[in-house]
Amino acid sequence: MNGWAQFKAIVRKDLIRELRTRDMIVSMILFVLLAMVIFHYAFSVKEGADLTYFTGGMLWVTFIFAMLLGLNRSFAQEKDEHCLDGLLLCPVDRVTIFLAKTVGNLVFLLIIQAVAVPVFTLFFIERSYLGDVLPFLIVLLLADVGICALGTLLATISMNTRSRDLLLPILLLPLIVPVLIAATGATTLIFAEGAGLADLLARVLFLLGFDAVFLVAAWGTYDFAIGE
Amino acid sequence: MTIEEGVKYVAAAYAIILAVLVIYYFMSARRVTALQRDVQLLEDEAKRLQTPVGEAGAE
Amino acid sequence: MKKLVSAPALFIGAGVFLITGLMLAFWYSPVDSSSMGFSQKIFYYHVPIAETALVAFGIAFVAAIAYLRTQDLKWDRLSYVSVRLGLLFSILVMLTGMIWGKAAWDTWWAWEPRLTTFLLVCFLYAAYWVLRSVVDEEQRRATYAAVFAIIAFINVPITFFATRFLPEGLHPVVISAGGTGMEGSMFVSFFISMIGMTLLLVALTRRDLAIENLKDRVTDLKTSLGG
Repeated sequence: MNGWAQFKAIVRKDLIRELRTRDMIVSMILFVLLAMVIFHYAFSVKEGADLTYFTGGMLWVTFIFAMLLGLNRSFAQEKDEHCLDGLLLCPVDRVTIFLAKTVGNLVFLLIIQAVAVPVFTLFFIERSYLGDVLPFLIVLLLADVGICALGTLLATISMNTRSRDLLLPILLLPLIVPVLIAATGATTLIFAEGAGLADLLARVLFLLGFDAVFLVAAWGTYDFAIGE
Repeated sequence: MTIEEGVKYVAAAYAIILAVLVIYYFMSARRVTALQRDVQLLEDEAKRLQTPVGEAGAE
Repeated sequence: MKKLVSAPALFIGAGVFLITGLMLAFWYSPVDSSSMGFSQKIFYYHVPIAETALVAFGIAFVAAIAYLRTQDLKWDRLSYVSVRLGLLFSILVMLTGMIWGKAAWDTWWAWEPRLTTFLLVCFLYAAYWVLRSVVDEEQRRATYAAVFAIIAFINVPITFFATRFLPEGLHPVVISAGGTGMEGSMFVSFFISMIGMTLLLVALTRRDLAIENLKDRVTDLKTSLGG
């Protein structure tokens, strides 16, 4: 079985398993929606407070915390059911496993975002940003890739420690702050004032660079993260 | 900000730096001597335990 | 073995440079003409400490790669000794940075690039320590720590860049090409302090490494005696 076929197989396995039971995705979606409600109550202390310039931040905080839950859940499951051990016994290139897991996590995140973004728009966004949907999606995807790549690498490590899921946020959050800076800035700009790719160029290029650098770094180190 | 006020802050900053570094230096120096003493004691102990066996073996 | 451990020459050298730098900073370099005035003098130690911290993390990075390649634990030792020292220096950067901030802008904290970057650096390498503390097996701990040290160090310049150039307000700010241009006399004091700090890092690293090796030796001896 060559690398590409293995990659597809692993991604399919993860997706099918999750879509069959749907517990992780349903929980994450509920979490994200609940978080939005909580944000409203957390911030609307002043009568008629204008949250327009907080929207990017709220959205990305929600996604990042949802991702922490999701990563912990999926890797804990793998560890408890010894799926990873089984996978390691096969002659699969470790890097293929990394890419497959990252893509799997990315797909989950995108599914959740597909539900969350419209609801978020309903709750918090006044002006229509349909004209800027393309830049918005580009920023979304680029930030997602960064979060998923680093998240997958670090979840693999943290699952094999004593702290397990408690460790992942501590490792991941400091690393992900640059993504947060770029993504929230871009998203808020789109929501609050409308922005085309030209206005967002710096941030988009930054996210692109971030993804490229850390995909390569995770690529190079995943062998060690997963190895026994 | 006048020079007098500025001096207070600058002095505080340098004082903290030097204090931390000096304390770290002395703490690590003490650690080194303590460990070296431990190693010495343990090595002596090891030698002491070995010699009777060595003599017994020589016979 | 004893000589190597105390390496007095390095410490004395460091001390000489640092004290010289300090004296030059106060008696040779001019008082800053900008609004910061006298408080700018903090710069002469603050920046060298910051750069030395980054050098320490860089050493940890290289040592981490070396460990992953050779699986020799001595590289792991160098790595975490360097991270510990880097963390110590980073905390000093934060403290002096805050004092400088209070002196220059009359506030103890500001979400400005330097302070926030070092804050994140502190969190990053504190995470390194937490990671080490929750893995019991030696080789695995070293491996995970090495992977994280590598990722963390790559993240440092990226964070610098993000906090500095991605505008927090939404609109592009004109980046004032603020000079690192120092006039000659300032540069001399700065440079001498820089050498001093770097020598200090090297001296402390060697000593800390020696401590770790000694600790190991003690454990070995204890086990061979007990066993």
